[in-house]
Amino acid sequence: MTLREIQERFQTSVLAGLASGQAAILDSLRDSPRTDRATLFAVYVDAYRLRLAEFVSTDFAVLRDYMGDEAFGSLVEQYIATGPSHHRNARWYASRLPEFMRESAQWRSDRAACDLALFEKGLADAFDSVDAPALAIDALAAAEPDDWPRLVFEFHPSVAVLDLAKGVARLYSALSDGGEAERADPDDDETILLWRRDDEPVYREIAADERLALIEARAAKSFGDICTLLEFQNNDETLLQRAAGFLAQWFADGIVTKISLST
Amino acid sequence: MSIPSSLGFGLGLRSIYYPDILEHEPNVDWFEIISENYMIPGGRPLAILECIRADYPIVMHGVSMSLASSDPLDYAYLRELKSLAERIEPAWISDHLAWTVVHGANLHDLLPIPYTREALDHVVDRIRRVQDFLGRRLLVENASTYATFQDSEMEEWEFVTEMAERADCLLLLDVNNIFVSGFNHGFDAESFIESIPIARVAQLHLAGHGSYETHKIDTHDQPVCEEVWRLYERARLRFGDISAMIERDDNYPPFDELLAELEHMREIARTADDVRSRSAT
Ligand SMILES: [Fe+2]
Repeated sequence: MTLREIQERFQTSVLAGLASGQAAILDSLRDSPRTDRATLFAVYVDAYRLRLAEFVSTDFAVLRDYMGDEAFGSLVEQYIATGPSHHRNARWYASRLPEFMRESAQWRSDRAACDLALFEKGLADAFDSVDAPALAIDALAAAEPDDWPRLVFEFHPSVAVLDLAKGVARLYSALSDGGEAERADPDDDETILLWRRDDEPVYREIAADERLALIEARAAKSFGDICTLLEFQNNDETLLQRAAGFLAQWFADGIVTKISLST
Repeated sequence: MSIPSSLGFGLGLRSIYYPDILEHEPNVDWFEIISENYMIPGGRPLAILECIRADYPIVMHGVSMSLASSDPLDYAYLRELKSLAERIEPAWISDHLAWTVVHGANLHDLLPIPYTREALDHVVDRIRRVQDFLGRRLLVENASTYATFQDSEMEEWEFVTEMAERADCLLLLDVNNIFVSGFNHGFDAESFIESIPIARVAQLHLAGHGSYETHKIDTHDQPVCEEVWRLYERARLRFGDISAMIERDDNYPPFDELLAELEHMREIARTADDVRSRSAT
């Protein structure tokens, strides 16, 4: 048999498992002085499942805590069964878990668990996303007041805006501190702004108007356009002040990395 | 051909030990990283690595080059690896005589190959191409294996020796892997070590493993066992002063216990070096 054929058989047999009766690779293996080839090949089969399960448990430790070992174990088993990893780096093997839960008839109905998974993945992504220095607020002061409406912003690559069931972020902190966890409310929503600051993921809840402003700003809309949009939504006279307040807060958070003027 | 000069006695760099290393500057001569742990976009792991790199030599040890795979070489991976190397400036880069991926599906494990002429030609060619791409000699490590193939035409140590000579690569001998594979397949670990060409070995690995009645598993979750220490002594006698380190990847003990193991390794090396210098005179 060629190297390719052996590797194809080996892989198929690991993925199918010994109990499947599809372990054709056994015909190509030898017994050892102490034991038979099936016992030895089982080391690879078991290690495969254990390793993938460990990737998921490590990346979703808080979700596991929330769901309990039994339910989490069955979720992981289903996730592994969706197919082999196509990532070279184990870091990304489990990253489809929130999506898998949302699309699964069984897990979709537990909105708190789905959103907790999304939040936990968001923190992990913020943790090792691309580096970029934050811009100091002085840069804003240096812009001419007449130019403000034309200002556009760039944000730190770690920034994410997540729409979650109300209380999921609080649930996460309680679980990761080992404290009593209040249930999240699946019928109400919260929006969490998440980013990395001083090498650690941080987050805060944001209100509907800041959410809107931030989404538009991240889509490279100018400050003037954002104000117009907020005005349209709210019909509020203190609007300019509030929009300027968001902006100041974004600088204080350290999430703005660049400003320029739209043409 | 010369091998890189010895870095001394090292440990695997694992995130759980960052505080011990950053706060106490322990007496470790060098650290080995798992390259993939730092093949990420940015953030704290890379910042800490650069900080530790400022004080210690680093070598890069990969687990997913899939050198023995029949899939095409993954140049996207190699490009990423090369750019990490440009940033970290490791003393060298290593990976395994194993495959992890076929048809693009990754089993995240170091899988065994038949020791055939066909596999040998294939691996030699791939190592040469990787070395050309990286612009440096690669260290290739013998993996622990649990399966042997009907088709094999030679022994592992014959394969490894010819591979190193023909690919003009260096070897990372894992003496624990030699012990584990020797137990599993019934070959003599010492003879393995004695048959490997001295001029090719640039680094040694030591680690602990799990033991069952019929086989052993390379788990890196235990202290180095007595038999593996004896093999290390044999290797030190044969290969002399080459870089050696302990891999620990699970069931992490307090950092001091790893430092004590490292001290034990130094003692064994001293004894072996005495024997070598006496027999030289
Ligand atoms: Fe090793």
